[in-house]
Amino acid sequence: MAARQAPIVIDNGTGWTKMGFAGNSEPSFVFPTVMGLPHSQSATGSSGPGRPSVAAKPSHLASKRGIDDLDFYIGDEAIKNSKSYGLNYPIRHGQIDNWDLMERFWEKSIFQYLRAEPEDHHVLLTEPPLNAPENRESMAEIMFESFNVQGLYIAVQAVLALAASWTSSKVTDRTLTGTVVDSGDGVTHVIPVAEGYVIGSSIKHIPIAGRDITNFVQQLLRERGETVNIPPEDQMRVSERIKEDYSYVCQDIVKEFRKYDQDPYNWFERYQGEHSVTGRQYGVDVGYERFLAPEIFFNPEIYSSDFLTPLPNVVDEVISSSPIDVRRGLYKNIVLSGGSTMFDHFGARLKRDLRQLVDTRLTNSELQSGNLQKSSGVEVNVISHKRQRHAVWFGGSLLAGLPDFYTSCYSKADYDEIGPSICRRYSIFGSST
Amino acid sequence: MILLEPENVIIKKIFNEKLIKPTSVDQTFVDFDGVRYHVFTPNNKVKTELILSISLACWSELESFGAYDVLLQHYGSSLAKGLEAGYDVSIQIDLNQIPSDPEQRDGFINNLSLLKRNAMSAPFLQAFQTQKQLEGMQVPTDGSPAPQGPLLEIHYRNQEAIYIQAGIDRVTVIFSTVFQEETDKIFGRVFLQEFVDARKLPSIQTAPQVLYSTREPPLEIRHLPNLIKSDDVGYVTFVLFPRHFSNQHVAASTISRIQLFRNYLHYHIKCSKAYMHSRMRTRVADFLKILNRAKLDKSESERKTITGRTFRSR
Repeated sequence: MAARQAPIVIDNGTGWTKMGFAGNSEPSFVFPTVMGLPHSQSATGSSGPGRPSVAAKPSHLASKRGIDDLDFYIGDEAIKNSKSYGLNYPIRHGQIDNWDLMERFWEKSIFQYLRAEPEDHHVLLTEPPLNAPENRESMAEIMFESFNVQGLYIAVQAVLALAASWTSSKVTDRTLTGTVVDSGDGVTHVIPVAEGYVIGSSIKHIPIAGRDITNFVQQLLRERGETVNIPPEDQMRVSERIKEDYSYVCQDIVKEFRKYDQDPYNWFERYQGEHSVTGRQYGVDVGYERFLAPEIFFNPEIYSSDFLTPLPNVVDEVISSSPIDVRRGLYKNIVLSGGSTMFDHFGARLKRDLRQLVDTRLTNSELQSGNLQKSSGVEVNVISHKRQRHAVWFGGSLLAGLPDFYTSCYSKADYDEIGPSICRRYSIFGSST
Repeated sequence: MILLEPENVIIKKIFNEKLIKPTSVDQTFVDFDGVRYHVFTPNNKVKTELILSISLACWSELESFGAYDVLLQHYGSSLAKGLEAGYDVSIQIDLNQIPSDPEQRDGFINNLSLLKRNAMSAPFLQAFQTQKQLEGMQVPTDGSPAPQGPLLEIHYRNQEAIYIQAGIDRVTVIFSTVFQEETDKIFGRVFLQEFVDARKLPSIQTAPQVLYSTREPPLEIRHLPNLIKSDDVGYVTFVLFPRHFSNQHVAASTISRIQLFRNYLHYHIKCSKAYMHSRMRTRVADFLKILNRAKLDKSESERKTITGRTFRSR
């Protein structure tokens, strides 16, 4: 082959799979990580599928075994066919749960969607923080033994999110030290990373994410009586649209309420929807939920009664529990990733609240020292950028496009020589520090 | 999902998306056999104008078989050569020009997504034509070789090639393929053997004849100088008879299928491996269950020292 083929970048998340080729700014495919299996094969619970089926009577060589193992759908096609195929989710809580299904998921995604010969490509896969080394080994086994890939790199999602922030104009040095605030559909993670390594003991999770915001919007609409206009089966979808298209983060909730009350015509928006079955038009007034929806990150008590720590405090706790020599770096480089961080001014608000926390603490300690010790101050910086939604995939695409990538990969030759244990070693590249 | 589809899903997806909402785009992606595509909007202000470029490893060979003319038939004046450095052929598309009728629109996009297939179809079409010309001739009875069309070689991959030759009553298509792994070789052999056997079933008697050999190239191409002789190489020969390509519709699907044969073979080797792996995993789980059953229960009796004292475990 004259030119080297672009590496394949696959980010398998719990909810969505993002895949495409390195060098592009967005993934070629984004679809749900779901497999549709015929009901006879469907897994029951999390115990994994039963024994793969074998045809009953081997009468002729060609009919010795059926091709049941090829009868499945993935992604949107699986959902479309969910009446006749049972849905299975091979990834749970970010970790691959069922390797049989995952192997077939990859087989289909590489050959039928990406249409690539795995032999010609290097592959970059992602893993959640605190992934067990055994899982990395299984990934390598499948990639090298089933697919004969030329090389494999397994990157931590949080590190890729950091790399994605290098595109922002605010970032001057390409560093892999920083705090990643990753908010997807199910959970929000706050992950500190020092020079490319995740500080596992300090990771914190927040049980508030995209789905909760949607629920909250729906709840607000219901309380105001707007839902009488919306057909019940569309309510979830309408709330989602309102969340994505109209919501933003305000700087002061009291002022915002006053603003809306004084000039409602200017601030209230109208959402026009169409009934998904009958095609009837309907309209909904969109009001306070515009700024209240993302507010649940900063004032969780308005939504939930069991989780009450605001996001800036969680970030502060995470950083202060990290080793002292990286804390400055962590405060300086707070990176947002995932769809639920896409609200306007989200970064600005997080930065302001966090700086208040830090400054208060600094003044306190200055006071307690009797004003003898003066602090030079701590720089707090939150970075938002254009690629936030698929930040992890984009970071992977960026790193896999670097020339260092090929040397940092586990190569097929090494794998054949040593075996899957090569994946326990871990090489960081691409950062300038 | 036994067969691989001839169309490229990414092209389809991009154009369907851009038709709904034109935005600027710049994407590179690949197809089987080292094909590279690039879709982009050359002018950032005119978002409805797109260029789709393709680069094929064997373009110079294909061109000599008339691939450019074949593409002209499919894409007309929007086709351009050398529009973009590093790519062989480009198509200019104006989204406003795409027919709005949903059926026609799907046809148009489908046609775009078949770009690689159409480019690769040139040598096959040429061979089919040669066969038609030869058809009237008689097989010589004096033992001299029967008249044959030229042997068309397409080196579509680094070490692998397709050879096409038209004869009086047939077109022979030979694939050479390289197996990189020992296991792949075995899977490949079993798989191809099944091909030969499956043809004995009464329902698929009309399928093209398939021959398979490893190491030894078939007679038709044995005279070629630069064949690699090693155990890793396999040769698959398809014999196509006029019934496979005399009808235009049948010919088109024959070409689509036979082009993807190599990928089809390697895809199924991988699927078989995945199937074996999943059986191995269940087997390991079963054995582990048996082993766990054999574990001894913890001895309940208290162990004492000679003085009668016991250790407490904490």
